This record gives sequence, C-alpha cells and structure tokens, in this order.
Amino acid sequence: MIKANRDNIKVLVADDEVEFASTLVTRLQLRSFETTMVNSGEAALAAIQQNEPDVLLLDLKMPDIDGLEVLARLKQDLPHLKVIILTGHGSLEAGQEGMKLGAYDYVMKPVDLQRLIEKIEGAYREKTAG
Amino acid sequence: MKFANSVDKILPKPLKSSIDLGLNRRNYAQFRLILIFVMTLIVTLPVVIVAGLGYYYYKDLLQREELDQLQWQLDGKVKSIEALIDNLTSVVQFTARSDRYRELVVGSNLEKLFVRLKRQYPLFADLGVIDHVGIQQNYWGPYDLKGTDYSQEDWFEELSDKGLHISGVYAGNRQVPHFSIAVTNQDPITGEMWLLRATIDALTLQKFIDTIKTNASDDLFLVDETGTIQTLSRYYGPILTQFSSTFDAGVQAVITDDGEKVFQIKEKVKNSPWSLVLVKKQYIHHEHWLKFRTKLLITIVICISIIFLVVFTLAGALTTLIRKAEETQLTMLSEAEHTNKLASIGRLAAGVGHEINNPLAIIDQKTGLIEDLLLMSDAEFEHKETIQGCLKVINQSIERCKAITHRLLGFARRTDVRQEVLQVNDVIREVLTFLDNSMTFRKIGIKLQLEENLSPVTSDQLQLQQIFLNIINNAIDAIDKDGEITIMSHMLAGDVRVVIQDNGPGIAPDILPHIFEPFYTTKETGKGTGLGLSITYGLVKKLGGEITVHSRVGQGTAFTITIPLQSKKNDQG
Repeated sequence: MIKANRDNIKVLVADDEVEFASTLVTRLQLRSFETTMVNSGEAALAAIQQNEPDVLLLDLKMPDIDGLEVLARLKQDLPHLKVIILTGHGSLEAGQEGMKLGAYDYVMKPVDLQRLIEKIEGAYREKTAG
Repeated sequence: MKFANSVDKILPKPLKSSIDLGLNRRNYAQFRLILIFVMTLIVTLPVVIVAGLGYYYYKDLLQREELDQLQWQLDGKVKSIEALIDNLTSVVQFTARSDRYRELVVGSNLEKLFVRLKRQYPLFADLGVIDHVGIQQNYWGPYDLKGTDYSQEDWFEELSDKGLHISGVYAGNRQVPHFSIAVTNQDPITGEMWLLRATIDALTLQKFIDTIKTNASDDLFLVDETGTIQTLSRYYGPILTQFSSTFDAGVQAVITDDGEKVFQIKEKVKNSPWSLVLVKKQYIHHEHWLKFRTKLLITIVICISIIFLVVFTLAGALTTLIRKAEETQLTMLSEAEHTNKLASIGRLAAGVGHEINNPLAIIDQKTGLIEDLLLMSDAEFEHKETIQGCLKVINQSIERCKAITHRLLGFARRTDVRQEVLQVNDVIREVLTFLDNSMTFRKIGIKLQLEENLSPVTSDQLQLQQIFLNIINNAIDAIDKDGEITIMSHMLAGDVRVVIQDNGPGIAPDILPHIFEPFYTTKETGKGTGLGLSITYGLVKKLGGEITVHSRVGQGTAFTITIPLQSKKNDQG
C-alpha cells in the first residue's frame, strides 16, 4: 500500500531541522522515492551540483543560505529543477514569494505527507513532460 | 534638573505637565485661574512699580523744586527786611551824631528833632536821650519819662557792648505794639557815653511785611528769639502771641490746626532779634500735581484693564488649547496603547506559533513514520492495537495543535485581501447557513434588520464571512439558551455598518476593554482559544474597517462593524 512504483524519483530534502528531515526522508524512502538529505543551503547547492535530483524539497529558514536565496541561485543554472518549498504556517507569503521565484509549489509544515507526495509526483510529471 | 525639581515642587498641581492617563486629570478651571493670576501679576507688577516710582520721584522733584523756590523767595524777603532795619538804624544813628548830646538834653531841641523826624517817618513814637549811667536825661513822646532809670535793663548792658540795640516788639505802656532802636555815642567833651533811643510803632514792620508778601494765601511774619510773634500771622494769631512751633532756621513740613499741609521756612534777619517765617501751603504746583496724578491713575487703570482683558482672553484660549491637546493626546495615547498591546501580543502569539510549529512538525513526522512502520510490519505483537490507538490519539492531538498554531500564526499573518464586489447583506445571509443546528435546541432566534439598498463593497468575502461568523458564534455562546440575536445593516457616512446585537448577559465593564486581546477568554478552559475576537479585530482592521463594542450587564452586547466601501489595498501581491 505504501510502496508504489515511483519510477525512482530522486528527491533531495534540504532542511536544517535534522530530525524532521531525516524522518521525512525515511518515510519517502519507504514510499520508494530515492531520497537524500542535506541540512544547509550550502550543502544543498553542493549536493545538487554533484547529483541533480528530480525534486528538491527546500526549507526556507536555514542558517547559512536562506531557502529563497538557494532557490534564486538554482533557478539560474538549473531552470528545469522542480522545487517544492517547505514553509511554516506563518510564512505563507514566503511560500508565495518562492512561487514567484519559480518554485513548483509550496507545502506548509507540519506536512501532510499524502499531499506532499501528490505534489512531488505532480512536479516529476511536469519535469518529465517538459 | 534640580532647578526643574524645585520648580515642580512650587508649582500648583494643575500647572504640572505630567499627564496621568485618566487618573489625575488637570483641574482646568483652577489652571485657568492660576494662569490668569500669574500672568496678571507678572504683567501688572512692572506697570505698578514703574507708575509708583514715577509717582514718588515726580512728587519728590516737585517738592524739591517747591522748597528751592520757597527758600529763594524767603531769601529775597529777608534781604528786604534787613534793608529796612538798616535804613531805620541809619536814621537813628544819624540823629545821634556824637556832638549832639549837649544840644539834645537842653530845652526843646529834642522836640524839634522829633517833629522833623516824624515828618519823614510817621511811625516814630518817641525819642529819649539817656546818659552813661542809664538815666533818661531828655524825652519827647506821649509820656513823661524824663529821669527814668534804665541802668538795670538788659538792653542797656548789651548796648554798652555793641553800640546798637534793636528790641523785640512789646506792648509798652500804651498797649500799642512797638519796638525800639537804641544807639550809643561818645560825648566829645566829657568823653562819656550817651544813648539815643527811638521807639517805633510795630506797624512799620507790619506794613513792610504786607508789602513784601507776594501771595495772599501765604503767611509771612516775624518772630523773635523766644518765638513770640512780631507781626500778624494768618495761621498763628496776632502780635505777641506765642508761635507754637519753635524751630531752628530751615524748612519744616507741618500740618496746621486746620489740617492743612504746609511748609514752614524760617530765616534769621541779620542785626535784629527777628527771624522771618514763611508758611506756605504744600504743592505750589497743586493743580499741576493733581492733573499728573489723575493722568497717571487713568493710564494705569486703562493699562491694567487692557492687561486683564488680554490675559483673561489669552488664559481662556490657552486653557482650551491645552485641554484639547491633552485630551487628544490622552485619546491617542490610549488608542496607541491598545493598538500596541494588540500588536505586541500578536507578535508574541506568532513567535510562540513558530516555535511550536517546528517541534510539532517533527512529532508529526515521527508519528507518521511509526504508523508507516506499523503498517508495513505484518507481524502481530503484543499491544499492537494499543499502540495504534495511541498513535491515533497523538495524531488527533497534533491536529488540534496544528489548528492552534494555524490560528496563532494566522493572527499575525498579513495575507492578501482579495478585492471582490460584494453585497454585505448576502455575506450575512450566507454566514447564517453555516450555523449549526444547536441554535434550534438552544432556542436562539436570529432577527434580521437589513437595509436592502446598501452600496456594494469591494472587500474580501471569506474574511467578511469569518468576521460575521466569529461574532455571531460569540453571541450564541454568550446567550447560551433562550435569546435573540439581531443583525442590522445600514449605510452610515459612506460606509456600510453592521450591528450584531445579542440579549445575553452582557460584558462586565472591567472585562470589556480586554475582549479583543488574544487569549482573553471568559469561556471555560478548553472551550475557547481566546483568539476568536482578536482575529476578528485583526481581520476588520485588515479590511480597513472598524469594530467597536457596547455592552451593558444584564441587557446584552452589541458589536458594530464598519466596512468601508473600498477595502484598503494590500501592497502584498
């Protein structure tokens, strides 16, 4: 029921909240996503350079490089990378700001996993289609 | 600062600038009075001081000038009298030429001389020739005084020393005031001293005084060394009365028996026993002085009247101005305080929401993971169902927490205001369909008094719904059972106004100011978050509207929401 054929969708979770990110990674892995995790903006940029994921789950509040900054940098080099913003409830505007910068969508924390998966799949579909 | 402190201590309370919010209002009536008093004092004092100084210096100047003039007048008169006396003395001295003793003591020679003398000086009364031992050897006059011995008289001795004696005025045997002039000489034959003594009617002096007296209102008279009046005095009586005030030469300000203020000025007449006294009413410039005084008084009165008028008007205007300013300030302060309080509580709420949101996200994920794992494990084990039950409850709790953080963050969140053209009445009617059936059980009726042709507003429908729903829900909770909610809408000053009124228990006055504060709730713990009205407040403000509440305990509560026809443009998005 959990497992499904996800076509080996590569997902990178970038969130400085390690416990949150690691658990999300595990749960996504359980659902057959090829998921890895980084805990800072810098690390996210480095990881993407090495191995470009299909979908990036990007937390906005990170200590070194802010999520929006990461997004702006990525969109220059990799316009086809799909980014889903993770944002707190209060940061609805931040999520919308991310959308303006070219993010695929945004999800508010605490995350409803089912909706997140739907969005990841949607992003992937769009990527493969485009 | 020390100075300010001491000033602060001196100042009466209404003048102090500290504004106590609502507690210690200035007493403006008292403030105004003090202002009037202080200003009048400050402005009037210099005027009065200057006027007073002017008054006294001018008075002093006039008096000085008056005295100078008096002195000068008297000097002149004394000189005239001295001249008169010199003249009389010369006449007697000429008559008593040294070689005439023999001639004068014999026969009618003295009589002839007297007749000649009297032809020129009619006021000569008699003539006497006295020998060196004091015996009158010859006499011509109204009495037979030949042979009288004058050797014991004071003047006889004095005469022997000085050669001239002028007596004071005395009544004499005839009771006619007269005085005498006696001169000495030496008989060239015997070498012995002899005297010629002439008695002169005091009228001589009186006539002369009358001539030199220039002003009828003045008193000018002679006194002798003992203070006996020698010529008629207007103030002090006839000749030979005692002059009441004996004083040395100089000026004296005196009040007469008639209560008249006068100056008395006295000066010694040389070679005589007399002093000339001038008594003059004070203020020779009386009229001038009175005119000055009147002018001064009128000027001061006018000045002070104008000052008072200006001060009065100014103080009134100032007080009104200060009162208005302070009242405005107070209102603004309390409004700002209220807004600040709500804003800071909002920030706090948002902060708490953020801080809780992250751990909550972790709990959420961890719980999800446990559920995933449980779902994936086929093995049945002890307590599996209990664990699943627990997870369910945890998830429910997480949902509750999510709802709270969502609201907390939503409270501070500035989301976009959508711009839709709406009929407020439609929004109200729509909201009523959301209300659940509990109202029917609780016998709460809703009465609509909606004005039908309201102008459409451009606002956010969902947020308006939220506002109305929150307040109606609040009213339902307040009524509890058996009651009525009245919803009214109308236009007012170009805005749409909605009043939602219940006949519930009302809100106590001490609670009323806090009802828009977040987490302020009178509901039982767990029943309300205390966020409903504060969110409503935030929403109304966001739409550019106003919300006010009026409540009376026992009668109910009315919320008035004013919605502008055009909601504020949100700069976001």
